[in-house]
Amino acid sequence: MNAIILSAAFGVVMMLCSFLIKNKSNFRHIASVALLILLIGNIADTYGYTFFAIDTHGMLQFNRFGLLFNSIAIGSTLLYVLLTGKEIENAGMHVAEYFTLILFVLCGVTLLSAYNNLLTLFLGIEIMSIPLYILTGSDKRNMKSNEAALKYFLMGSFSTGLMLMGIALTYGGTGTFSLEVVRNAPNMYKGLVSFLEILGLLFLLVSMAFKVSAAPFHFWTPDVYDGAPSVFTSFMATIVKAAGFIAFIKLCAVRMAETESVVDWKMIYAIIIVATLLVGNITAVFQQSVKRMLAYSSIAQAGFMLFTLISLNDMAYEGILLYSAAYSLATIGIFAVLVKMKDYTFDGYNGLAKTQPVLAATNTVFLLSLSGIPLTAGFFAKYYMLAAVVKTGNYTWLVITGVLFAAVSVYYYFRVIQAMYFKEGNAETTTIVPSFKYGLIALAAIIILLGIFPTLLLRWLYF
Amino acid sequence: MNNIAYLVPLFPLLGFLINGLFRKSLSKGTIGIIGCGTILLSFIVSLILFFDVKANGGVVVNYFNFIDVASFQIPFAFQIDQLSVIFLLIITGIGFLIHLYSTSYMHDESSEHFGRYFAYLNLFVFSMLLLIMGANYVIMFIGWEGVGLCSYLLIGYWFKNINYTNAAKKAFVMNRIGDLGFLLAVFWLLSKLGTANYVDVFEQASTGLSSTDVTAITLLLFVGAMGKSAQIPLYTWLPDAMAGPTPVSALIHAATMVTAGIYMIARSNVLYSLSPLTQDVVAVIGLATAILSATIALFQNDIKKVLAYSTVSQLGFMFLALGVGAYTTGVFHVMTHAFFKALMFLGAGSVIHAMGGEQDITKMGGLVKKLPITAWTFVIGVLAISGFPFTSGFVSKDEILLAVLAHSPVLFWFAVFAAILTAAYMFRLMMLVFFGGFRGTHEQEHHLHESPSAMTIPLIILGVLSLIGGFVQLPHVFGGEDFFNQFLAPIVPAVTHEGAEAATLEYYLLGGTIVILVIVYVVTKKLFAVDRFDGVYTGFKKVLADKWYIDELYNAVIVNPLDKLAGFLKNVVEKSGIDGIVNGVGKFVNYASRQLRLLQSGQVGNYILFMVLSIAVLFLVFWNQEIIVQFLQKIF
Amino acid sequence: MSEIPLTHILFVSTALFFIGMYGLFTRRNMITMLMAVELMLNSVNINFVAFNKYLFPENLDGVFFTIFIITIAAAEAAVAIAIIINLYRSHHSIDVEDATEMKW
Repeated sequence: MNAIILSAAFGVVMMLCSFLIKNKSNFRHIASVALLILLIGNIADTYGYTFFAIDTHGMLQFNRFGLLFNSIAIGSTLLYVLLTGKEIENAGMHVAEYFTLILFVLCGVTLLSAYNNLLTLFLGIEIMSIPLYILTGSDKRNMKSNEAALKYFLMGSFSTGLMLMGIALTYGGTGTFSLEVVRNAPNMYKGLVSFLEILGLLFLLVSMAFKVSAAPFHFWTPDVYDGAPSVFTSFMATIVKAAGFIAFIKLCAVRMAETESVVDWKMIYAIIIVATLLVGNITAVFQQSVKRMLAYSSIAQAGFMLFTLISLNDMAYEGILLYSAAYSLATIGIFAVLVKMKDYTFDGYNGLAKTQPVLAATNTVFLLSLSGIPLTAGFFAKYYMLAAVVKTGNYTWLVITGVLFAAVSVYYYFRVIQAMYFKEGNAETTTIVPSFKYGLIALAAIIILLGIFPTLLLRWLYF
Repeated sequence: MNNIAYLVPLFPLLGFLINGLFRKSLSKGTIGIIGCGTILLSFIVSLILFFDVKANGGVVVNYFNFIDVASFQIPFAFQIDQLSVIFLLIITGIGFLIHLYSTSYMHDESSEHFGRYFAYLNLFVFSMLLLIMGANYVIMFIGWEGVGLCSYLLIGYWFKNINYTNAAKKAFVMNRIGDLGFLLAVFWLLSKLGTANYVDVFEQASTGLSSTDVTAITLLLFVGAMGKSAQIPLYTWLPDAMAGPTPVSALIHAATMVTAGIYMIARSNVLYSLSPLTQDVVAVIGLATAILSATIALFQNDIKKVLAYSTVSQLGFMFLALGVGAYTTGVFHVMTHAFFKALMFLGAGSVIHAMGGEQDITKMGGLVKKLPITAWTFVIGVLAISGFPFTSGFVSKDEILLAVLAHSPVLFWFAVFAAILTAAYMFRLMMLVFFGGFRGTHEQEHHLHESPSAMTIPLIILGVLSLIGGFVQLPHVFGGEDFFNQFLAPIVPAVTHEGAEAATLEYYLLGGTIVILVIVYVVTKKLFAVDRFDGVYTGFKKVLADKWYIDELYNAVIVNPLDKLAGFLKNVVEKSGIDGIVNGVGKFVNYASRQLRLLQSGQVGNYILFMVLSIAVLFLVFWNQEIIVQFLQKIF
Repeated sequence: MSEIPLTHILFVSTALFFIGMYGLFTRRNMITMLMAVELMLNSVNINFVAFNKYLFPENLDGVFFTIFIITIAAAEAAVAIAIIINLYRSHHSIDVEDATEMKW
């Protein structure tokens, strides 16, 4: 509860700052302090020190898993603001509002990690999405940014409509909005699991799949990620996607698992996973722009994260946490470097190793983590995902498909490394301050540390 | 004893690392001191171990679990018992002398290559020690491979000469063929008994293995020995291995590495005693090798080649001894052979050094005047190998002959023939090199000088050992005790000759030897202590001088067809087939990507349409799940 | 007044939902697309209220949810108009086919 209320409050504070404080560069310091307080508040909440005791009538439920995910999300946002805060100032004119919107998105994220009621799910998704529509279109002079905002809005509201229809149908089928359905309550539909409910759950599934950019509902991702200013793409591609996943998994674990006796949802998950992996990896191979390639690659990573749905055991939960952390850190790092480049195409990276060796080296670490090469956090993340599925005993063909597509992904990630190190060129970047390099090195060090000792992160789940 | 056993291989390993890593920055003197000093320290520790074993018996020292998989364990352990400690003394002792000799022989090299040489030599000693000290077949195999590697590295030491590197390659490949046999034997053993430790294997050998098992295992182990110890058919690498520096030939191809096969069979004597068929095979092949290589040695013109074929021949003798069950005799001959063969190789090195690099004996002669120490120590070696009474070679060879006679008279007469040939070619060599008139050029004559003391001292020490080394095993009739057999008795059963028949046989052998030696001396002095010798042979002698054309036969039947097959595999299968498939996959993915990205058309309406269509498809799949699952199961 | 069966109301709301969906992927005018989105959201409102009144008359959950939907729809419409105005300023057209610079 701390995080939800504190993030909304700090959002309002930042909004007030926009006309009370004149110096532009103070905003990111205020935002960093706010995020730090938010993080501390969340950690306090994890160990039981809630500052706000509000009775939500069972609509919100705070468990260890959700609170740890909150900490990861807030921590990643803090790293993100520290690393690329300067670039946010260059994204547009209204700097304080951008930080406000980021804090509001965080509010939605923290709401999503704790929801226990379909109403709170809807609220969380909407609170998370609407500021993102604005952030996508924040570079008003860039035509691509405007177009991306429009497409995001249109398709986002379409998916909201689908989600609402789904919720309506489930309500008609069960009579309650709560996530855990008590099936023998007096005013329940006597047929236990009704057709209405299952249809509703299908719509809900489609809408959540849209949010996490699973194929075949991924069409917004390349355009939006490509069009939005790179700083905000970095935020969207990591924390928001991870939050979407947490919501998705909670929904599936509770609601759809209940109807397992009647229908087999795993086949649908399998179809979606295969389609996502296929579209994400294969289309990324032939891209000319690194930013668009990263957009498609985030679809592919989403495909990997969907493996959790097939297994849904303890290892899967640990896996999704680790995957969120690893993927967020690596993507924040890559986009931090991307923002500094003048040319976003692959040729624009030629020869970066000679002009900026630190950037090239840390970029390599990030790319290796995304490909899942051992010694980086990404390897263990993928391992946990696949091991959880193998543990259940079925769906080995899915695991093999996942591994094959991970091999395809190595190609397009390594194209960047090849351009940086092995091709001759003049890679131009904007000015880089030493603290930026230290930040990148620290981020790379965290990734390698998590790659050697993944339990450093995971044991907080149990302590 | 447990505490210091690991020091023996550790010193040479440290020497290898220091000399190898820092060879560019150390001076030649330092490199020499490190190289020799480590072996000397190992020798001292080996002496301590020897006295310990003499007093307290053998022990197995476990260090750590080398391989530990499920129920399958191979510990990294050393077995220090009577057999291994004898070999330890031989290797470290003679190794030290040869290292000392090398500091002077190789001093023309630059310090970087000097360091490389000593690093390889130390690595070789380390591997050999590992081979000897291992307590199970797997550790032995590690050393086995290590000495093969070092042999390759040292034969090809002057790597700029393509002939030398080809010789090194040949040695390595032939060794490898033998190693395959060794590995198969170890696998067979592991699968039948589940362990490779000597102690366990020999205990369970009679009960756990059927007779086909034992025969197969021992035959396969012997294949390994064939490669490592240069028996027929895998012996042709040893004469070519003379391309390496002479101290290398002395150490590796005379005294130590080639005896690894003997050690292995002596160690596995329990297994070999259970398989009479293999023993016959070993004996026959040993004898055939002894005779074949002795005939070739008779007509060679390169001083080192003569000694190489002589080594092959003597190894044949050792295998003959093992084949008739006289294991201790075989080991004893290893020891004495190490003394006099190393002596002769080092002497040859001294001669080559004095002749300024010339190795052709048709151009030598009468060197006894200018190189007295070399010459007279060489003579001692020749006498030892020919079996001059009471030299070390006499005692060991006599024991072999007696053991063979007890087994089979036919083999005995063939063995005697081989012994006569041995004396013949050795005396020929001695006469041609040291006596008669000098047949070389004038500059060579002026260049002749005795070698420095670093080279002559080892010669003297080895000469003394060749003379008195036999006294540890002198037969009873001549007043000696068989210390050697008694020492080895716990590990290796001995063949004893007691009784009056043994005594008369000894006297017959003694008499026969003296007669033969006198005849050989007279004949060779007349034929070879001459002023002119052209060394050109015709007719049957040419066949022998050309090594019975075995190398050419191998080339035609094995090497060339394999080359052609490899060429075919590379050009057709690899380039078109496998590369084609791999590149094809990449091209396919690229093509698929180009087509798939067209799905993203840029128009929002299209996107939403696709989404709606997917919802419809998902719904259909969902509704007809059972039918679809049944359909898929029918296909797969 | 005889009761209108639930199915009639559900039919209306479903029809509205699909009409809205059809409008979303067929129309080229951005404002019209916005109207279609609003149509979809409101059809869901009808659904909620109908389920609440006919199936579970003791609760008021559905109606409350409807209030939330209306609020959020309003917020979304505000943002949408802002985006469309921004797009118009740069592209000088409200045809969605003119904003297809990012493809493939």
